[in-house]
Amino acid sequence: MLVAHAATQVPCATQATEATETNEEARGARVSFWEYLGNRHAQLLADSLQHASAVLQCMVAATVIGVVIGVVTYRSEWAGDVATITGATILTVPSLALIGLLIPLVGLGVAPTVIALTLYGLLPIVRNAIVGLRGVDPALVDAARGIGMSRLRQLVKVELPLAWPPILTGIRVSTQMLMGIAAIAAFASGPGLGNSIFRGVASLGSANALNQVLAGTLGIVVLALLFDAAYVLIGRLTIPRGIRA
Amino acid sequence: MSGETPEKPRTGAADAPEGGDATRTAARVPAQTTAARAAGTAGAVALEAPGEAVAAAPAGGERITARLTWQKLTILPGLIALVLIGTWLWFRGAELDAIARNSLADGNVSLRIRQHIEMTAISTFFVLIIAIPLGIALTRPWLRKATPVALAVANLGQAVPSLGLLVLLVFWLNIGQTTAVAGMVVYAVLPVLANTIAGLRGIDPQLTEAARGIGMSPLGVLGKVELPLAVPLILAGVRNALVLNVGTATLATFIGGGGLGDLIASGITNQRMPVLMLGSVLTVALALLVDWLASIVELLLRPRGLEGSS
Repeated sequence: MLVAHAATQVPCATQATEATETNEEARGARVSFWEYLGNRHAQLLADSLQHASAVLQCMVAATVIGVVIGVVTYRSEWAGDVATITGATILTVPSLALIGLLIPLVGLGVAPTVIALTLYGLLPIVRNAIVGLRGVDPALVDAARGIGMSRLRQLVKVELPLAWPPILTGIRVSTQMLMGIAAIAAFASGPGLGNSIFRGVASLGSANALNQVLAGTLGIVVLALLFDAAYVLIGRLTIPRGIRA
Repeated sequence: MSGETPEKPRTGAADAPEGGDATRTAARVPAQTTAARAAGTAGAVALEAPGEAVAAAPAGGERITARLTWQKLTILPGLIALVLIGTWLWFRGAELDAIARNSLADGNVSLRIRQHIEMTAISTFFVLIIAIPLGIALTRPWLRKATPVALAVANLGQAVPSLGLLVLLVFWLNIGQTTAVAGMVVYAVLPVLANTIAGLRGIDPQLTEAARGIGMSPLGVLGKVELPLAVPLILAGVRNALVLNVGTATLATFIGGGGLGDLIASGITNQRMPVLMLGSVLTVALALLVDWLASIVELLLRPRGLEGSS
Protein backbone atom coordinates (compact mmCIF):
# COMPACT_ATOMS: atom_id res chain seq x y z
CA MET A 1 0.00 0.00 0.00
CA LEU A 2 2.51 2.59 1.13
CA VAL A 3 5.20 1.05 -1.02
CA ALA A 4 3.13 1.73 -4.08
CA HIS A 5 2.85 5.37 -3.06
CA ALA A 6 6.56 5.75 -2.75
CA ALA A 7 7.04 4.26 -6.18
CA THR A 8 4.68 6.73 -7.80
CA GLN A 9 6.12 9.65 -5.94
CA VAL A 10 9.17 10.28 -8.08
CA PRO A 11 7.67 10.44 -11.58
CA CYS A 12 4.71 12.34 -10.27
CA ALA A 13 6.87 15.01 -8.71
CA THR A 14 9.14 15.56 -11.69
CA GLN A 15 6.23 15.65 -14.06
CA ALA A 16 4.56 18.31 -12.03
CA THR A 17 7.70 20.39 -11.90
CA GLU A 18 8.27 20.24 -15.61
CA ALA A 19 4.72 20.74 -16.68
CA THR A 20 3.66 23.60 -14.47
CA GLU A 21 6.70 25.64 -13.64
CA THR A 22 6.37 29.00 -15.31
CA ASN A 23 9.26 30.70 -17.00
CA GLU A 24 9.39 33.33 -14.34
CA GLU A 25 9.91 30.87 -11.55
CA ALA A 26 12.36 28.82 -13.60
CA ARG A 27 14.51 31.90 -13.99
CA GLY A 28 14.73 32.09 -10.24
CA ALA A 29 12.49 35.09 -9.79
CA ARG A 30 10.50 35.36 -6.59
CA VAL A 31 6.83 34.65 -7.11
CA SER A 32 3.98 35.31 -4.71
CA PHE A 33 2.74 32.51 -2.51
CA TRP A 34 -0.49 32.20 -4.49
CA GLU A 35 1.37 32.07 -7.77
CA TYR A 36 3.65 29.44 -6.27
CA LEU A 37 0.65 27.37 -5.21
CA GLY A 38 -0.76 27.69 -8.71
CA ASN A 39 2.50 26.65 -10.34
CA ARG A 40 3.18 23.74 -8.06
CA HIS A 41 -0.31 22.58 -7.24
CA ALA A 42 0.17 19.17 -8.84
CA GLN A 43 3.25 18.36 -6.82
CA LEU A 44 1.87 19.82 -3.60
CA LEU A 45 -1.33 17.87 -4.06
CA ALA A 46 0.66 14.68 -4.57
CA ASP A 47 2.69 15.40 -1.43
CA SER A 48 -0.47 16.18 0.55
CA LEU A 49 -2.14 12.99 -0.58
CA GLN A 50 0.89 10.96 0.39
CA HIS A 51 1.09 12.71 3.73
CA ALA A 52 -2.58 12.09 4.42
CA SER A 53 -2.50 8.51 3.24
CA ALA A 54 0.63 7.69 5.26
CA VAL A 55 -0.93 9.13 8.40
CA LEU A 56 -4.29 7.50 7.72
CA GLN A 57 -2.88 4.04 7.08
CA CYS A 58 -0.60 4.19 10.08
CA MET A 59 -3.51 5.41 12.21
CA VAL A 60 -5.68 2.49 11.12
CA ALA A 61 -2.90 0.07 11.98
CA ALA A 62 -2.21 1.87 15.26
CA THR A 63 -5.90 1.87 16.23
CA VAL A 64 -6.28 -1.86 15.62
CA ILE A 65 -3.07 -2.76 17.43
CA GLY A 66 -3.70 -0.25 20.21
CA VAL A 67 -7.22 -1.47 20.97
CA VAL A 68 -6.03 -5.10 20.92
CA ILE A 69 -3.25 -4.28 23.38
CA GLY A 70 -5.77 -2.43 25.53
CA VAL A 71 -8.22 -5.35 25.49
CA VAL A 72 -5.48 -7.86 26.34
CA THR A 73 -3.97 -5.87 29.21
CA TYR A 74 -6.70 -3.86 30.92
CA ARG A 75 -7.95 -6.65 33.18
CA SER A 76 -4.65 -7.14 34.88
CA GLU A 77 -3.60 -4.13 36.88
CA TRP A 78 0.05 -5.02 36.40
CA ALA A 79 -0.07 -5.56 32.62
CA GLY A 80 -2.17 -2.46 32.03
CA ASP A 81 0.20 -0.30 34.06
CA VAL A 82 3.23 -1.74 32.30
CA ALA A 83 1.63 -1.00 28.92
CA THR A 84 0.76 2.56 29.96
CA ILE A 85 4.15 3.34 31.47
CA THR A 86 6.02 1.83 28.52
CA GLY A 87 3.91 3.94 26.20
CA ALA A 88 4.55 7.12 28.17
CA THR A 89 8.28 6.41 28.16
CA ILE A 90 8.43 5.78 24.42
CA LEU A 91 6.52 9.01 23.81
CA THR A 92 9.31 11.01 25.48
CA VAL A 93 11.71 9.79 22.82
CA PRO A 94 12.22 12.53 20.20
CA SER A 95 10.93 11.36 16.84
CA LEU A 96 14.12 12.16 14.96
CA ALA A 97 16.05 9.92 17.36
CA LEU A 98 13.59 7.06 16.98
CA ILE A 99 13.78 7.33 13.20
CA GLY A 100 17.57 7.43 13.54
CA LEU A 101 17.51 4.20 15.52
CA LEU A 102 15.26 2.55 12.93
CA ILE A 103 17.38 3.41 9.88
CA PRO A 104 20.20 0.94 10.62
CA LEU A 105 17.56 -1.76 11.08
CA VAL A 106 15.21 -1.17 8.13
CA GLY A 107 16.93 1.35 5.88
CA LEU A 108 15.68 4.68 4.60
CA GLY A 109 12.34 5.63 3.10
CA VAL A 110 8.89 4.28 3.73
CA ALA A 111 9.78 1.54 6.22
CA PRO A 112 11.13 3.69 9.09
CA THR A 113 8.34 6.22 8.47
CA VAL A 114 5.60 3.62 8.78
CA ILE A 115 7.13 1.98 11.82
CA ALA A 116 7.74 5.26 13.63
CA LEU A 117 4.29 6.65 12.81
CA THR A 118 2.50 3.48 13.85
CA LEU A 119 4.49 3.24 17.07
CA TYR A 120 3.86 6.83 18.12
CA GLY A 121 0.22 6.60 17.05
CA LEU A 122 -0.23 3.49 19.15
CA LEU A 123 0.65 4.98 22.49
CA PRO A 124 -2.17 7.46 23.19
CA ILE A 125 -4.65 4.89 21.91
CA VAL A 126 -3.39 2.12 24.21
CA ARG A 127 -3.51 4.46 27.17
CA ASN A 128 -7.00 5.71 26.46
CA ALA A 129 -8.26 2.22 25.62
CA ILE A 130 -7.05 0.92 28.97
CA VAL A 131 -8.48 3.89 30.86
CA GLY A 132 -11.77 3.59 28.96
CA LEU A 133 -12.14 -0.16 29.38
CA ARG A 134 -11.24 -0.02 33.06
CA GLY A 135 -13.79 2.72 33.55
CA VAL A 136 -16.75 0.69 32.33
CA ASP A 137 -19.17 0.19 35.21
CA PRO A 138 -18.68 -3.41 36.46
CA ALA A 139 -22.44 -3.62 37.09
CA LEU A 140 -23.07 -3.25 33.35
CA VAL A 141 -20.64 -6.03 32.49
CA ASP A 142 -22.24 -8.15 35.19
CA ALA A 143 -25.67 -7.51 33.72
CA ALA A 144 -24.38 -8.51 30.29
CA ARG A 145 -23.07 -11.75 31.75
CA GLY A 146 -26.35 -12.20 33.54
CA ILE A 147 -28.37 -12.18 30.34
CA GLY A 148 -26.07 -14.87 28.97
CA MET A 149 -23.60 -12.97 26.81
CA SER A 150 -20.34 -14.73 26.07
CA ARG A 151 -17.08 -13.04 27.05
CA LEU A 152 -16.52 -11.93 23.47
CA ARG A 153 -20.01 -10.51 23.10
CA GLN A 154 -19.67 -8.67 26.40
CA LEU A 155 -16.54 -7.07 25.04
CA VAL A 156 -17.91 -6.19 21.61
CA LYS A 157 -21.47 -5.25 22.60
CA VAL A 158 -20.95 -3.59 25.97
CA GLU A 159 -17.41 -2.74 26.94
CA LEU A 160 -15.93 -1.46 23.69
CA PRO A 161 -18.90 0.80 22.78
CA LEU A 162 -18.73 2.34 26.25
CA ALA A 163 -14.97 2.79 26.01
CA TRP A 164 -15.17 4.17 22.47
CA PRO A 165 -15.30 7.92 23.28
CA PRO A 166 -11.94 7.94 25.10
CA ILE A 167 -10.45 5.71 22.41
CA LEU A 168 -11.61 8.16 19.75
CA THR A 169 -10.01 10.98 21.72
CA GLY A 170 -6.80 9.00 21.71
CA ILE A 171 -7.08 8.58 17.95
CA ARG A 172 -7.50 12.32 17.47
CA VAL A 173 -4.54 13.13 19.66
CA SER A 174 -2.42 10.55 17.85
CA THR A 175 -3.37 11.81 14.42
CA GLN A 176 -2.37 15.34 15.21
CA MET A 177 0.95 14.19 16.58
CA LEU A 178 1.60 11.99 13.54
CA MET A 179 1.02 14.91 11.17
CA GLY A 180 4.08 16.65 12.61
CA ILE A 181 6.18 13.51 12.94
CA ALA A 182 5.49 12.57 9.32
CA ALA A 183 7.02 15.90 8.31
CA ILE A 184 10.21 15.03 10.19
CA ALA A 185 10.26 11.55 8.66
CA ALA A 186 10.76 13.17 5.26
CA PHE A 187 14.38 13.67 6.31
CA ALA A 188 14.77 9.89 6.17
CA SER A 189 13.32 9.97 2.64
CA GLY A 190 9.79 9.38 3.87
CA PRO A 191 6.79 10.50 1.80
CA GLY A 192 4.70 13.63 2.26
CA LEU A 193 4.70 17.37 2.77
CA GLY A 194 7.85 17.30 4.88
CA ASN A 195 9.66 17.03 1.56
CA SER A 196 8.40 20.45 0.60
CA ILE A 197 9.73 21.87 3.88
CA PHE A 198 13.10 20.18 3.48
CA ARG A 199 13.38 21.38 -0.12
CA GLY A 200 12.98 24.87 1.27
CA VAL A 201 15.62 24.20 3.95
CA ALA A 202 18.03 22.92 1.33
CA SER A 203 17.60 26.05 -0.78
CA LEU A 204 17.49 28.63 2.01
CA GLY A 205 18.27 32.00 0.50
CA SER A 206 16.89 31.13 -2.91
CA ALA A 207 13.93 33.07 -4.19
CA ASN A 208 11.20 30.56 -3.46
CA ALA A 209 12.47 28.88 -0.31
CA LEU A 210 9.87 30.65 1.82
CA ASN A 211 7.09 29.55 -0.50
CA GLN A 212 8.22 25.94 -0.28
CA VAL A 213 8.37 25.92 3.51
CA LEU A 214 5.12 27.83 3.84
CA ALA A 215 3.30 25.52 1.45
CA GLY A 216 4.50 22.42 3.33
CA THR A 217 3.68 23.81 6.77
CA LEU A 218 0.28 25.22 5.90
CA GLY A 219 -0.53 22.03 4.01
CA ILE A 220 0.07 20.02 7.17
CA VAL A 221 -2.03 22.42 9.25
CA VAL A 222 -4.90 22.11 6.77
CA LEU A 223 -4.63 18.32 6.74
CA ALA A 224 -4.60 18.21 10.54
CA LEU A 225 -7.73 20.35 10.73
CA LEU A 226 -9.49 18.26 8.06
CA PHE A 227 -8.71 15.05 9.93
CA ASP A 228 -9.92 16.60 13.16
CA ALA A 229 -13.20 17.62 11.53
CA ALA A 230 -13.57 14.09 10.20
CA TYR A 231 -13.14 12.71 13.71
CA VAL A 232 -15.80 15.01 15.08
CA LEU A 233 -18.11 13.63 12.41
CA ILE A 234 -17.11 10.04 13.16
CA GLY A 235 -17.78 10.73 16.82
CA ARG A 236 -21.28 11.99 16.02
CA LEU A 237 -21.99 8.91 13.95
CA THR A 238 -20.44 6.20 16.09
CA ILE A 239 -20.81 7.17 19.73
CA PRO A 240 -23.92 5.42 21.05
CA ARG A 241 -26.73 7.86 21.66
CA GLY A 242 -27.09 6.84 25.29
CA ILE A 243 -23.64 7.97 26.41
CA ARG A 244 -23.30 11.19 24.45
CA ALA A 245 -22.53 14.15 26.61
CA MET B 1 2.89 2.17 40.03
CA SER B 2 0.19 3.01 42.45
CA GLY B 3 -3.25 1.93 41.36
CA GLU B 4 -5.16 4.29 39.19
CA THR B 5 -8.66 5.11 40.27
CA PRO B 6 -10.64 4.09 37.24
CA GLU B 7 -13.70 6.24 37.78
CA LYS B 8 -11.97 9.59 37.62
CA PRO B 9 -10.26 9.37 34.27
CA ARG B 10 -13.19 7.72 32.62
CA THR B 11 -15.78 10.35 33.23
CA GLY B 12 -13.36 12.95 32.02
CA ALA B 13 -12.12 11.13 29.00
CA ALA B 14 -15.61 10.19 27.98
CA ASP B 15 -16.61 13.82 27.89
CA ALA B 16 -13.81 14.75 25.63
CA PRO B 17 -14.85 14.10 22.06
CA GLU B 18 -17.99 16.15 22.05
CA GLY B 19 -16.74 19.02 24.11
CA GLY B 20 -16.00 22.51 22.96
CA ASP B 21 -12.59 23.95 22.37
CA ALA B 22 -11.63 24.00 25.97
CA THR B 23 -12.36 20.35 26.38
CA ARG B 24 -10.46 19.48 23.29
CA THR B 25 -7.36 21.30 24.26
CA ALA B 26 -7.31 19.81 27.67
CA ALA B 27 -7.68 16.39 26.17
CA ARG B 28 -4.95 16.99 23.70
CA VAL B 29 -2.31 18.50 25.83
CA PRO B 30 -1.54 15.36 27.74
CA ALA B 31 -0.99 13.41 24.61
CA GLN B 32 1.73 15.59 23.34
CA THR B 33 3.46 14.98 26.51
CA THR B 34 1.89 11.95 27.87
CA ALA B 35 5.15 11.48 27.40
CA ALA B 36 5.68 13.50 30.28
CA ARG B 37 4.34 11.39 32.97
CA ALA B 38 3.87 7.94 34.15
CA ALA B 39 0.19 7.38 34.06
CA GLY B 40 -0.51 7.17 37.74
CA THR B 41 0.58 10.62 38.79
CA ALA B 42 -2.04 13.13 39.63
CA GLY B 43 -1.07 15.34 36.75
CA ALA B 44 -1.95 12.71 34.21
CA VAL B 45 -5.25 11.91 35.78
CA ALA B 46 -6.18 15.52 36.02
CA LEU B 47 -5.28 16.21 32.44
CA GLU B 48 -7.05 13.18 31.24
CA ALA B 49 -10.18 14.52 32.77
CA PRO B 50 -10.81 17.67 30.83
CA GLY B 51 -13.58 20.14 31.20
CA GLU B 52 -15.61 19.90 34.33
CA ALA B 53 -13.94 16.75 35.44
CA VAL B 54 -10.78 18.71 36.01
CA ALA B 55 -12.53 20.26 38.93
CA ALA B 56 -12.20 17.04 40.80
CA ALA B 57 -8.59 16.60 39.95
CA PRO B 58 -6.60 18.73 42.33
CA ALA B 59 -8.34 17.13 45.24
CA GLY B 60 -9.59 13.83 43.88
CA GLY B 61 -6.65 12.93 41.73
CA GLU B 62 -4.43 12.92 44.76
CA ARG B 63 -6.02 9.79 46.01
CA ILE B 64 -3.10 8.16 44.34
CA THR B 65 -0.43 8.76 46.90
CA ALA B 66 2.51 9.73 44.78
CA ARG B 67 5.53 8.67 46.73
CA LEU B 68 9.18 8.51 46.01
CA THR B 69 9.89 4.79 45.84
CA TRP B 70 13.28 3.19 45.34
CA GLN B 71 12.01 1.67 42.10
CA LYS B 72 11.32 5.12 40.75
CA LEU B 73 14.77 6.26 41.76
CA THR B 74 16.72 3.35 40.33
CA ILE B 75 15.05 1.52 37.44
CA LEU B 76 15.13 4.15 34.72
CA PRO B 77 18.59 5.61 35.43
CA GLY B 78 19.87 2.05 35.67
CA LEU B 79 18.46 1.20 32.27
CA ILE B 80 19.84 4.39 30.76
CA ALA B 81 23.27 3.68 32.23
CA LEU B 82 23.20 0.13 30.83
CA VAL B 83 22.26 1.37 27.36
CA LEU B 84 24.94 4.03 27.43
CA ILE B 85 27.61 1.55 28.56
CA GLY B 86 26.46 -0.89 25.88
CA THR B 87 26.63 1.80 23.22
CA TRP B 88 30.06 2.86 24.39
CA LEU B 89 31.38 -0.70 24.26
CA TRP B 90 29.89 -1.21 20.79
CA PHE B 91 31.17 2.12 19.64
CA ARG B 92 34.74 1.37 20.71
CA GLY B 93 34.70 -1.66 18.47
CA ALA B 94 32.95 0.06 15.55
CA GLU B 95 34.95 0.81 12.45
CA LEU B 96 35.11 4.53 11.78
CA ASP B 97 36.27 5.89 8.45
CA ALA B 98 37.53 9.40 7.81
CA ILE B 99 34.07 10.92 7.38
CA ALA B 100 32.67 9.36 10.52
CA ARG B 101 35.74 10.29 12.53
CA ASN B 102 35.48 13.79 11.21
CA SER B 103 31.90 14.25 12.43
CA LEU B 104 32.93 13.14 15.91
CA ALA B 105 36.31 14.82 16.19
CA ASP B 106 37.39 17.74 18.37
CA GLY B 107 34.93 17.16 21.15
CA ASN B 108 32.04 17.54 18.74
CA VAL B 109 29.95 15.06 20.71
CA SER B 110 30.27 16.86 24.03
CA LEU B 111 29.70 20.19 22.26
CA ARG B 112 26.44 18.90 20.79
CA ILE B 113 25.30 17.51 24.13
CA ARG B 114 26.04 20.83 25.78
CA GLN B 115 24.20 22.77 23.08
CA HIS B 116 21.23 20.46 23.39
CA ILE B 117 21.01 20.89 27.15
CA GLU B 118 21.51 24.64 26.85
CA MET B 119 18.73 25.05 24.31
CA THR B 120 16.39 22.90 26.35
CA ALA B 121 17.10 24.78 29.57
CA ILE B 122 16.85 28.26 28.09
CA SER B 123 13.68 27.58 26.14
CA THR B 124 12.03 25.90 29.12
CA PHE B 125 12.86 28.90 31.27
CA PHE B 126 11.22 31.26 28.80
CA VAL B 127 8.23 28.99 28.33
CA LEU B 128 7.61 29.05 32.06
CA ILE B 129 8.00 32.78 32.57
CA ILE B 130 5.65 33.41 29.65
CA ALA B 131 3.04 30.70 30.04
CA ILE B 132 2.44 30.66 33.78
CA PRO B 133 1.86 34.42 34.33
CA LEU B 134 -0.22 34.47 31.15
CA GLY B 135 -2.24 31.54 32.42
CA ILE B 136 -2.81 33.29 35.74
CA ALA B 137 -3.83 36.51 34.00
CA LEU B 138 -6.25 34.71 31.71
CA THR B 139 -8.10 33.15 34.63
CA ARG B 140 -8.62 36.45 36.49
CA PRO B 141 -12.21 37.71 36.30
CA TRP B 142 -11.34 40.74 34.15
CA LEU B 143 -9.81 38.58 31.45
CA ARG B 144 -11.95 35.51 31.77
CA LYS B 145 -13.73 36.32 28.52
CA ALA B 146 -10.45 35.91 26.68
CA THR B 147 -9.81 32.41 28.01
CA PRO B 148 -11.76 30.51 25.34
CA VAL B 149 -9.95 32.51 22.67
CA ALA B 150 -6.57 31.65 24.19
CA LEU B 151 -7.51 27.99 24.41
CA ALA B 152 -8.70 27.98 20.82
CA VAL B 153 -5.41 29.52 19.70
CA ALA B 154 -3.48 26.98 21.77
CA ASN B 155 -5.55 24.27 20.19
CA LEU B 156 -4.98 25.50 16.66
CA GLY B 157 -1.29 26.05 17.36
CA GLN B 158 -0.91 22.37 18.12
CA ALA B 159 -1.73 21.61 14.50
CA VAL B 160 1.37 23.46 13.30
CA PRO B 161 4.23 20.99 12.80
CA SER B 162 7.26 21.85 14.93
CA LEU B 163 9.58 21.42 11.95
CA GLY B 164 7.62 23.89 9.83
CA LEU B 165 7.48 26.39 12.68
CA LEU B 166 11.24 26.33 13.25
CA VAL B 167 12.06 26.66 9.56
CA LEU B 168 9.56 29.48 9.05
CA LEU B 169 11.18 31.45 11.86
CA VAL B 170 14.45 31.32 9.94
CA PHE B 171 13.04 33.69 7.32
CA TRP B 172 12.37 36.19 10.03
CA LEU B 173 15.23 35.69 12.51
CA ASN B 174 17.93 34.08 10.35
CA ILE B 175 19.55 30.73 11.10
CA GLY B 176 21.19 29.92 14.40
CA GLN B 177 20.64 28.80 17.94
CA THR B 178 18.61 31.84 18.97
CA THR B 179 16.05 31.11 16.29
CA ALA B 180 15.87 27.49 17.38
CA VAL B 181 15.26 28.54 20.98
CA ALA B 182 12.61 31.05 19.89
CA GLY B 183 10.82 28.33 17.92
CA MET B 184 10.97 25.94 20.84
CA VAL B 185 9.49 28.57 23.13
CA VAL B 186 6.62 29.33 20.74
CA TYR B 187 5.92 25.65 20.28
CA ALA B 188 5.90 24.74 23.98
CA VAL B 189 4.14 27.84 25.38
CA LEU B 190 0.73 26.79 24.13
CA PRO B 191 0.42 23.40 25.86
CA VAL B 192 1.85 24.73 29.11
CA LEU B 193 -0.53 27.69 28.96
CA ALA B 194 -3.48 25.36 28.41
CA ASN B 195 -2.29 23.27 31.35
CA THR B 196 -2.04 26.25 33.68
CA ILE B 197 -5.47 27.53 32.70
CA ALA B 198 -7.01 24.09 33.17
CA GLY B 199 -5.34 23.81 36.58
CA LEU B 200 -6.52 27.18 37.84
CA ARG B 201 -10.01 26.80 36.45
CA GLY B 202 -10.29 23.35 37.94
CA ILE B 203 -10.05 24.60 41.51
CA ASP B 204 -13.17 24.06 43.53
CA PRO B 205 -14.95 27.46 43.53
CA GLN B 206 -16.10 26.78 47.09
CA LEU B 207 -12.49 27.00 48.26
CA THR B 208 -11.84 30.37 46.65
CA GLU B 209 -15.18 31.62 47.88
CA ALA B 210 -14.35 30.54 51.40
CA ALA B 211 -11.02 32.33 51.15
CA ARG B 212 -12.76 35.50 50.00
CA GLY B 213 -15.31 35.01 52.72
CA ILE B 214 -12.69 35.13 55.47
CA GLY B 215 -11.56 38.46 54.07
CA MET B 216 -8.60 37.57 51.85
CA SER B 217 -7.65 40.02 49.12
CA PRO B 218 -7.74 38.79 45.51
CA LEU B 219 -3.94 38.60 45.61
CA GLY B 220 -4.09 36.62 48.82
CA VAL B 221 -6.57 34.18 47.33
CA LEU B 222 -4.29 33.71 44.34
CA GLY B 223 -1.11 33.28 46.35
CA LYS B 224 -2.40 31.33 49.32
CA VAL B 225 -5.17 29.21 47.78
CA GLU B 226 -5.24 29.02 44.02
CA LEU B 227 -1.55 28.67 43.19
CA PRO B 228 -0.77 26.06 45.85
CA LEU B 229 -3.73 24.01 44.66
CA ALA B 230 -2.61 24.34 41.06
CA VAL B 231 0.98 23.37 41.81
CA PRO B 232 0.64 19.75 40.64
CA LEU B 233 -0.72 20.83 37.28
CA ILE B 234 1.83 23.58 36.88
CA LEU B 235 4.62 21.12 37.69
CA ALA B 236 3.16 18.76 35.12
CA GLY B 237 3.34 21.67 32.70
CA VAL B 238 7.01 22.21 33.50
CA ARG B 239 7.77 18.59 32.82
CA ASN B 240 5.70 18.87 29.72
CA ALA B 241 7.70 21.81 28.44
CA LEU B 242 10.99 20.07 29.19
CA VAL B 243 10.05 16.94 27.28
CA LEU B 244 8.68 18.89 24.32
CA ASN B 245 11.79 21.04 24.21
CA VAL B 246 14.24 18.15 24.33
CA GLY B 247 12.41 16.76 21.32
CA THR B 248 12.18 20.01 19.38
CA ALA B 249 15.86 20.74 20.10
CA THR B 250 16.77 17.76 17.90
CA LEU B 251 15.30 19.72 14.98
CA ALA B 252 17.53 22.72 15.66
CA THR B 253 20.18 21.16 13.45
CA PHE B 254 18.08 21.88 10.36
CA ILE B 255 18.29 25.59 11.01
CA GLY B 256 21.92 25.70 12.05
CA GLY B 257 21.26 25.53 15.77
CA GLY B 258 23.43 22.50 16.56
CA GLY B 259 22.42 20.08 19.27
CA LEU B 260 22.34 16.31 19.19
CA GLY B 261 20.20 16.37 16.07
CA ASP B 262 23.40 17.35 14.32
CA LEU B 263 24.90 13.91 14.86
CA ILE B 264 21.69 12.23 13.71
CA ALA B 265 21.35 14.39 10.62
CA SER B 266 24.97 14.04 9.56
CA GLY B 267 24.75 10.30 10.21
CA ILE B 268 21.75 10.08 7.87
CA THR B 269 23.08 12.34 5.11
CA ASN B 270 26.56 10.79 5.13
CA GLN B 271 25.24 7.26 5.59
CA ARG B 272 27.50 6.70 8.59
CA MET B 273 25.65 4.35 10.89
CA PRO B 274 27.97 4.65 13.91
CA VAL B 275 27.45 8.42 13.96
CA LEU B 276 23.71 8.00 13.50
CA MET B 277 23.46 5.40 16.25
CA LEU B 278 25.56 7.41 18.68
CA GLY B 279 23.50 10.55 18.08
CA SER B 280 20.20 8.71 18.42
CA VAL B 281 21.16 6.80 21.56
CA LEU B 282 22.48 9.93 23.24
CA THR B 283 19.31 11.85 22.34
CA VAL B 284 17.05 9.11 23.67
CA ALA B 285 19.11 8.84 26.86
CA LEU B 286 19.00 12.60 27.38
CA ALA B 287 15.24 12.76 26.79
CA LEU B 288 14.52 9.92 29.22
CA LEU B 289 16.89 11.35 31.81
CA VAL B 290 15.32 14.81 31.62
CA ASP B 291 11.84 13.35 31.97
CA TRP B 292 12.97 11.23 34.92
CA LEU B 293 14.57 14.18 36.70
CA ALA B 294 11.44 16.23 36.11
CA SER B 295 9.27 13.45 37.53
CA ILE B 296 11.39 13.33 40.70
CA VAL B 297 11.21 17.11 41.09
CA GLU B 298 7.48 16.92 40.48
CA LEU B 299 7.12 14.53 43.41
CA LEU B 300 9.37 16.49 45.73
CA LEU B 301 7.77 19.88 45.15
CA ARG B 302 4.17 18.74 45.47
CA PRO B 303 2.53 20.55 48.39
CA ARG B 304 2.33 18.18 51.34
CA GLY B 305 -1.20 19.16 52.19
CA LEU B 306 -2.55 17.81 48.93
CA GLU B 307 -1.24 14.31 49.42
CA GLY B 308 -3.53 12.88 51.99
CA SER B 309 -6.65 14.80 51.08
CA SER B 310 -9.93 13.29 49.92
